[in-house]
Amino acid sequence: MMKVVPNVEGGLRIEVETPTDWLVLEQIAPDALKMEKESLSSRLGALMDEVSEWDEMVVPELRDLFHGQLCCVRNIVREARKASGENSGLGLIKISEDDGPNWYGALNQARIALEEYYRFSAAQEVAEIESFPPPKRSAFIRSQFYSALQSVLLEHVID
Amino acid sequence: MTPPEKISATTLTEEETKAAAKLASAWNILVFDDPVNLMEYVTKVLQKVFAYPREQAEDLMLTIHTAGKALVWTGAREPAELYVQQLHSFQLQASLEKASS
Repeated sequence: MMKVVPNVEGGLRIEVETPTDWLVLEQIAPDALKMEKESLSSRLGALMDEVSEWDEMVVPELRDLFHGQLCCVRNIVREARKASGENSGLGLIKISEDDGPNWYGALNQARIALEEYYRFSAAQEVAEIESFPPPKRSAFIRSQFYSALQSVLLEHVID
Repeated sequence: MTPPEKISATTLTEEETKAAAKLASAWNILVFDDPVNLMEYVTKVLQKVFAYPREQAEDLMLTIHTAGKALVWTGAREPAELYVQQLHSFQLQASLEKASS
């Protein structure tokens, strides 16, 4: 089980201990890209009127921002796994203070996409979760982990 | 180089006039509840974007959470659009509506 620990530089350190931990962390960007019907950037602007030209002026900027967050997280995880050696489960991921908002944003995108795809309700009973088919159950557990990591980021990294 | 075109009020189309009137009036910014964004995060975003004190941001967040939406700011169209853009960049669902006079 991985550990998430605040560091003295105002960031976080994730101590990765098993190959499964790596799989979960590597799944953040693919989970975020599960949003099929409409991109998050377009959906956020859906309620804006035509005067604002939101689709032309703002949506492309948001798309770049959100894409950048995913790239940042994917690259950090990829580099950390490479540094840990292919056969070892053990590894270290450093989230700097500057990267905190990128991590938070990427995790949020992943949770929004999973929520939309699997329709988890706000309060799930344990029995109900156990009855989920395996892909939905593992997605729910990932979503809970992403949320927990976001809470730590909010508490220790993000102003 | 082409000289700047002179524009007078009479050259505005009906559509442009309506758009200008729309921009001049007051606008409300609404933020909507969603099942993903953490309450603490929404509070921090409202503090950051509008420079609201913690207590005010927390009250607004609770209104969003319990009522499904909250009016978080009212003012001119141009700054309102910039605020909504910032809220969207933080992945909060927000929109503009014309304030009733």
